[in-house]
Amino acid sequence: MTRPLETDFCVVGAGGGGAVVAAELAEAGANVVLLEQGPGHDPDGFTARPPEMLAKLYRDSGQTTTIGSPPILLPLGRGVGGTTLVNSGTCFRTPAPVLARWADEYGLELDDRAMSVCFERVERSLSVSEVTPELAGANAAVARRGAERLGWSHGYLRRNARGCVGSGVCVFGCPTSAKQHTGITYVPRAVGAGAALITNADVRELLVERGRVRGVLARLAGGERLEVRAGETILACGTIHTPLLLARSRLAGASGQLGRNLSLHPATAAFALMPDEVNMARGVPQSFYVDEFAHEGVMFETVAGPPAYAAMALPLQGREHARAMARYPRLAQMGLMVSDSSRGSVHALGRRPVIRYSLDGADLDRVRRGLAHLGQLFRAAGASEVYLPLPPGVAPGAARARDLRLMAFHPLGTARADARASHGVADGDLAVHDVRGLHLADGSVVPSALGVNPQLTIMALATRLAFHLLDRAVPSEQQGAGIGHALAPLST
Amino acid sequence: MTRGFESFIDRAPWPERVALRALLAVERRPRGARLLARAPLLSQALGATLALGRYDEPRLAACLGWDAAKVVARGRALRRAEGRP
Repeated sequence: MTRPLETDFCVVGAGGGGAVVAAELAEAGANVVLLEQGPGHDPDGFTARPPEMLAKLYRDSGQTTTIGSPPILLPLGRGVGGTTLVNSGTCFRTPAPVLARWADEYGLELDDRAMSVCFERVERSLSVSEVTPELAGANAAVARRGAERLGWSHGYLRRNARGCVGSGVCVFGCPTSAKQHTGITYVPRAVGAGAALITNADVRELLVERGRVRGVLARLAGGERLEVRAGETILACGTIHTPLLLARSRLAGASGQLGRNLSLHPATAAFALMPDEVNMARGVPQSFYVDEFAHEGVMFETVAGPPAYAAMALPLQGREHARAMARYPRLAQMGLMVSDSSRGSVHALGRRPVIRYSLDGADLDRVRRGLAHLGQLFRAAGASEVYLPLPPGVAPGAARARDLRLMAFHPLGTARADARASHGVADGDLAVHDVRGLHLADGSVVPSALGVNPQLTIMALATRLAFHLLDRAVPSEQQGAGIGHALAPLST
Repeated sequence: MTRGFESFIDRAPWPERVALRALLAVERRPRGARLLARAPLLSQALGATLALGRYDEPRLAACLGWDAAKVVARGRALRRAEGRP
């Protein structure tokens, strides 16, 4: 039996992009159905214990892995809030040179001024502010000391948090609900304005009639089928899953770009043994950055976590591992991420994504240089031992791709926006080129690596899309058109 | 192994799940460690996974200054006191 629903807008995915679009549309008076493949998460179920939370809050227990050289772990969130539920909360605006490049190479008119009104709106919704040194904790203080002694550019990160007490488990479910992920910000706003949120709704295909998308077919947890008929459909299933749904529906393939151009931020981290206690899990794990080498595509950000997390990430084995973990209170950690030039792809095998991605020579060189700089940073900070994620005896400059232990974050680009239908999947307004009635609102449309964490970019683009669908200008925050206040009702 | 660690393995994609279970079985055999030493990448992956489970044990974590239950209790109290979601 199929349950039918009719609505103005059907939004698929309640993560960083979909939740924003749904809230903005609903608050303007539109009828919205918001479908989420995963469950809603009750913060009372957050235990601050990594294995349990990886199983609960991440797709595939956080063990989604790319195929290529080297294999790379690509953790993705699942459920209401999407990856914003399990990210570190770092907020960067899209760097102006990146926007300029998008204009030149992809014909996207997203200049700094046009985007700033969207950024302001999102930042206010998420209570974005800079981490204080006190809240950042001792792990950040180590990185700061090293950067200052070396004269490297650095600073405290801006995050979407309110009332944070530095529980140290942002990526395992914030037990204080301080991190302002979309599951506790935009989704409640959408629902409060009348949107219907349906969780555990697995969208199987898009309904297409006479060259126009008319909604979606989904299967609910109990096996019931759901047909949502909508005037406009917005896909926000994330960079890995949006292209799979499009391909399954035989849409958006004309340019040949669907599922291609996958960009990641390959990342790794080093540990150091400090003379004094650090207690890395006390404070905000990702709170401090060093951007001295950002122009080369290498960015450093602090990372940290409880012993189970550190033990998994510590690049040692056997007795050496046990010896270092016994001194966990004195361990510091810093991550590096690379703004990549490598490109991968995603396609489906059955209903599972197959993600292909191999590090090119330029990115391998960035990782090598980044690791060398991390060693330098920790030694300048006074570390007595530095543990780089490399096999014993391998120096950073000699590392081969297969020597690296990489994770990656921030997948982008698999349904990239390009003003030219022959070069991209969506246009500058994020409408899919090949078909009417379908827009995209997630990282898949972002056409290149940003070099910084992308959640604000995705949310700002989603804000811009929502107001484009409403045929209204994004209200300026300075003009007093505040967040959460209903605008004049839609006339249609 | 904790229940959380079991569910961490159970919810992994099937190739990883099958591989991890097989490696765990090999590791428990008398000559398992020696066998695994011949495959450093596999050994490393297994070591990291086992370490995740081992250091999740509350008593071991407490020795290192981490009390998950206390962190959670503080979080819940703050949420309730301030009416957060």
